[in-house]
Amino acid sequence: MSTASAAIELKNASFSYGGAPQLSDVTVTIKKGDAVALIGPNGSGKSTFLKGVLGLVDLAGGHLSVLGGSPRDALSRVGYLSQLTEVDREFPVSLRQVVMMGRYRSLGLMRWPSRRDKKLVADALDKVGLTEQAEKPFGELSGGQQQRGLLARALTVEPQLLLLDEPFNGLDQANRTALLQTLNMLRTEGVTIVTSTHDLQLARDVCNRVMLLNHTLIAYGPVEETLRISLVEKTFEHSIAHVGNHAVVPAAHEHDHDHDHE
Amino acid sequence: MDLSFFTDPFVYPFMSRALITVLVLAVASGVVGLFINLRNLEFISDGLVHAVFPGLVVGFVISGTDGLLPGALIAGVIAAVILTVVSRRGVGSDAAIAVVLAGSFSLGIVIVSRETNYVSQLEQLLFGGVLTVTESQLWQIIVVGALAVLMVGLTWRRQLYLSFDPSGFRASGYRTLPTELLFNCAIAFLVVAGSQALGNLLVLALLIVPAAIARLVSKRIGWLVPIATIAAALSGWLGLVTSFHTSVSAGLTPSPGSLIVIILIALYALTLLAHIVVSRLIVPRRALPQLSGGA
Repeated sequence: MSTASAAIELKNASFSYGGAPQLSDVTVTIKKGDAVALIGPNGSGKSTFLKGVLGLVDLAGGHLSVLGGSPRDALSRVGYLSQLTEVDREFPVSLRQVVMMGRYRSLGLMRWPSRRDKKLVADALDKVGLTEQAEKPFGELSGGQQQRGLLARALTVEPQLLLLDEPFNGLDQANRTALLQTLNMLRTEGVTIVTSTHDLQLARDVCNRVMLLNHTLIAYGPVEETLRISLVEKTFEHSIAHVGNHAVVPAAHEHDHDHDHE
Repeated sequence: MDLSFFTDPFVYPFMSRALITVLVLAVASGVVGLFINLRNLEFISDGLVHAVFPGLVVGFVISGTDGLLPGALIAGVIAAVILTVVSRRGVGSDAAIAVVLAGSFSLGIVIVSRETNYVSQLEQLLFGGVLTVTESQLWQIIVVGALAVLMVGLTWRRQLYLSFDPSGFRASGYRTLPTELLFNCAIAFLVVAGSQALGNLLVLALLIVPAAIARLVSKRIGWLVPIATIAAALSGWLGLVTSFHTSVSAGLTPSPGSLIVIILIALYALTLLAHIVVSRLIVPRRALPQLSGGA
């Protein structure tokens, strides 16, 4: 039932951590090469959507195919950027060692990293612009550099699909620009990108599609068409502000980074 | 410098067996303790330590010192499985660990109190007898300690990735349960190996303190295991030497296990002090604005 041009296909899909579904009745097809911004209030199911695509949250109903197969089959071609809040930021390893973790799955238990593994790590560091920081302890990098380092790790699997969970949270302007550049470069390489965000500017800067979520799919379509105030209002249940013709969504409350919205 | 003061005691077979014992434990604690530290599993480790106690007691009641190891291993593995499952549920796991900890410890005391020479048995189990380790016990400690190291060493990359980023770990297609289970078993094995020498109470220091010392000294993963191992080995060696000389020349009989732990803790205190001094001296300007602005 999946078509060759679809990166992710959901039909009446529901996702649940065991209890009531966190996200239900989602029908959407994300085409290969698309860049999609997932937008919705806190707890609306953005992370659940990403974890569902990774196969980490159970499909409670409906159908899901990722890169033409099951989520688990697709995993080796999927890159995932964790939220920075979920990693140990003082971990005693170098940036290069963090990026090499992306190769662990194919290295298995004992195999030593080959020239190819090392090249993939070096290339990924280059793509995020952190080659010069490679040997620094991870804990000595700035939050933005750590975030870009985690993106580099996701790139070492040479992903066809890249999933990002709030990648711009707490980034300063310089790191934000660097990350935007990397994502736009990946788009030109044909990588499909799905990113959760509460930053509508990111949607405009990198994405060509927007998905509005609030426990179910509110809307999916081209950026400007989908970010109409009426739809965004419906997604955020009227808790938004208007700036000219643009809707401004409330910042995530659990992260008190006030500098990522200018 | 004449080192005979530090080397002479080990001409006695019981002293050299004790030295090999603490060196084996030092290596195992360097490897296993690192991930206890990285994953903040100190409390689970405490739970495992106490859960091993009734195993030691039952093994001892059934077949004396030969029964210590099998009894402890069985109890340790059962506890590792229970604690792995409980801690995965997250909410309330601290309470569950505390229940396992207190429950199993009191069970052990009840069983050991049925023995006629109850007090000396209890002392042996709680505080260990590194000087009375027999050759067969030494071999048991070497085998169990090596198994603990192997369990972690063979899954090193998984343990590292899981400690750093659990959600990234799962997103790469790894399953957490086998990795966690294996690691908790490795802790249990180290507890079993260490309990015979240092006793069931003091073995906790061996699980936690060497790695904590290493974390203060280096931010490079490759250095942490050697530093922790050296810290534990040094404390073990000095503890044995001190214990030997105080009993020979001063007629005191301090428990060598306690001396080892005291020296280990002193080493930690010194390292902490040095760490504070160095970080104040070297990065005062970088640290100050963070302190005033971060709170």
